[in-house]
Amino acid sequence: MSDYALEDLQAVDERCRTIVTGELGFEAPDVVYHLVPAEEVYYAAANGLPARYSSARWGARFDAMYGRYRRGEERIYELIFNTRPVHAYLMEGNSLVGQTLVIAHCLGHGYVFEHNAWLGAVDRQIMPRVLSAAHRISDYMAQHGRERVEGLLDACHAVAVHQPQAQLIRKAGTSEPEHRPAEYDALFPEEVEAERRRIAEERDALRRRFPREPEQDLLGFVERHARALADWERDVISIVRSEQGYFLPQMRTKILNEGAAVLVHQEVCQRLFLPTNQYWEYEQLNAGVVQPHPGPVNPYNLGIALLREVMRIATEPDDEDRERWGWAGEADPFERVRTVLRSYDDEALVREFLTPRVCERCRLFAYERLQRDPRRIRVSSREADDVRAALVAQVSTSGIPRVEIVDADFGRRGELLLDHRHEGVGLDPEYARGTLVELARLWGKRCVARTIQGDDAQRRMWFAGSPDGSSEQGFGEPR
Amino acid sequence: MTVVGGSGLPHDAGHRDALHHRDRLRRKITEQLKARIGEEDIIASGPEKRVRVPVSGTRSWRFILDRGSEEGVAQGDGDPGDVLGPPGDGPQRGEAGTEPGEELYEVWLDMDDIEELLFSELQLPRLKPKATADAQATEAVFDDIARKGPRIDKKETLRQNLVRNAKRGRARLGSIESGDVRYLSYRERPLPRHKAVVFLAMDVSGSMDVSRKRMARLFFYWCVQFLHRRYDQTEIVFVAHTTEAREVTEHEFFHRAESGGTRVSSAFELIDREQPDRYPESDWNVYVLHVSDGDNFTADNQRTLGLIARLAERCSLVGYLQVGESGFTTSRSLLPFFEEAAPVDGFVFAAAEDDRELWPALKRFFAKDSVEEAVR
Repeated sequence: MSDYALEDLQAVDERCRTIVTGELGFEAPDVVYHLVPAEEVYYAAANGLPARYSSARWGARFDAMYGRYRRGEERIYELIFNTRPVHAYLMEGNSLVGQTLVIAHCLGHGYVFEHNAWLGAVDRQIMPRVLSAAHRISDYMAQHGRERVEGLLDACHAVAVHQPQAQLIRKAGTSEPEHRPAEYDALFPEEVEAERRRIAEERDALRRRFPREPEQDLLGFVERHARALADWERDVISIVRSEQGYFLPQMRTKILNEGAAVLVHQEVCQRLFLPTNQYWEYEQLNAGVVQPHPGPVNPYNLGIALLREVMRIATEPDDEDRERWGWAGEADPFERVRTVLRSYDDEALVREFLTPRVCERCRLFAYERLQRDPRRIRVSSREADDVRAALVAQVSTSGIPRVEIVDADFGRRGELLLDHRHEGVGLDPEYARGTLVELARLWGKRCVARTIQGDDAQRRMWFAGSPDGSSEQGFGEPR
Repeated sequence: MTVVGGSGLPHDAGHRDALHHRDRLRRKITEQLKARIGEEDIIASGPEKRVRVPVSGTRSWRFILDRGSEEGVAQGDGDPGDVLGPPGDGPQRGEAGTEPGEELYEVWLDMDDIEELLFSELQLPRLKPKATADAQATEAVFDDIARKGPRIDKKETLRQNLVRNAKRGRARLGSIESGDVRYLSYRERPLPRHKAVVFLAMDVSGSMDVSRKRMARLFFYWCVQFLHRRYDQTEIVFVAHTTEAREVTEHEFFHRAESGGTRVSSAFELIDREQPDRYPESDWNVYVLHVSDGDNFTADNQRTLGLIARLAERCSLVGYLQVGESGFTTSRSLLPFFEEAAPVDGFVFAAAEDDRELWPALKRFFAKDSVEEAVR
């Protein structure tokens, strides 16, 4: 089908690599490319990593994605895994020009994987663990029945993203309140005694509280403290939790990472001096990747626009830019981009470089959903400041509401109480109830989550789910 | 650095997981259907219309922000204040996937699918071979070989060729001649036709209110559908009774309300009288299903059970379903009486207080395990 051999791809990789390191100054790590059939590319895309444990959840995604591919609605060109060495899948049947773009694109990802502080925080030797986990889960399915294990996986998948991300700055733990003796204590013995008692009570209350600090690691907490779990069930929970940990840094660097990959493939292909017909084919493929669509933000489009903005500020700043960035007009553009790629995540990138220019170029707007018809939205603003604030809110959480365990003995009934750290928008009731039922199946008892409806702090709401599948909700304080 | 062909992993893992997914989906649909057989719109849709079955519980639950008040950023035209359609239809590549809903399935099923899904769990009790089969029906069976015909029998042709070559001293295949060619031929074989008759008997006295009749109708509907599917020919006899029983049309059966007392035995008397001549059990599989609210004339209970025992000897199944809330159950009620009486071989009884209990009741009459045990 294809008119090239593995050696041709090898040669392409070497040429691209020479340009990336020699001319652009990006040191890319070694990448192992696998030329694989479409089914395999789509299966790995459906579950995020190759050779992962079997699950109907991946099957559902595979069905949807592979179906779109077969109907010609979608085509994945490449898949890359943040492992050491970096592994990437090239899809069989793509043209040599297509593979060239992909290889250059992968070298961009490779640079980010290797040097970005957030992405460096994951376990890059994850593959042996993934394989061993797949074997164990397959054993558990044989022993306890596939449906039972799938049910447990469903419950784990529901809350797996709720775990602390790699923190570059560690937060100090809360200290216990204590009474400090002061100079004039002797003059007010009664007041001092009352104060002493009040502080002691507060401290005792704090000591009784379990967990002591709000716990962000939902699966980790359940794995350690749920009472009615068998060993194999704890193992399944720990597998899902640790594999999810691999994906979280990629979620928070999506725009940055895709921007870097696009920048590298554009700069490399520009320097390959392709014949006209091949260059035309390259431009078509490139357009398919970076083209803006009316609708959700295309991370490739926004990513490259932001990085090109960094490069513009480095070479052709206006007066405002000079005021704002000390390095404006005086920096090597690729060096500046590398600095950003090393230590930024999407939130920092958007916060600093989403200028009115980028906003206009990408035709970004901020919106709010219509209460009466949640499928429709109202454009709320096209001002860069508003768009930036909304986008920062969107990417800082990767769309994951912050939910923490605050009490593992709620109502003195051993129930789990969670708090939603509200940032202007409450939890979706239907999904909150469904998720709490899943969590309750792991915990073995009812689970309750507190939140605020809308942005009105007066409207406190709660949701609850029980292991038997029932769920409830109410206003005010939970029961 | 290195380019290798393939990944060393199986290609079909995705398809295997997809099968597991579809299998789960199918089971969930079946569960949903069981909960919904008490809904009339499934029946009202008729045999050729399709029914929409929303399958909940297939969603991947997770905490998401309130869909009604979410704010965000999108790309496109439009001035502040403009209202736009959904940002993008369906999931976009690279989207974090905060848009829920794509995992909610709505499956369109026709009656064939529904019956296939549901009835695979049911079984006919006490199947007896019937002596006389309707000889008019025949079936063509291709199990003969001929020298002429429309369909070549390749295996036999090669065998003949091999035999002929062997006779000439060279036992191998080759140079097939027209004399070697054999054809498949068919024989007409009489096809036994399985016939079933169902006596549907219902208490139409004043205490059977609209909702009880509705449940009775739903129950009868599924019973008949099931029997219809399993037998080539299914005849239905409708019997309505108060203190006296009479054979009625389907319309009368479901729509006429009468007043007066109740004597359940009257229905079984009528069936006991009519069945042997019109539907001799030597030719027919006979089913008797009776639905009432259980409110019977006390002195009649023992007589009813006697008739049931007589019928059960000739029938494949005699069933009794008590519908409606048991709050009104009195000492006169039939169900407690049956429960206390000595079990009768071939007689199965059940109660359904509301729509959701119809499926368990059906399963009790036609289930693979329980009836087999109940009648043996």
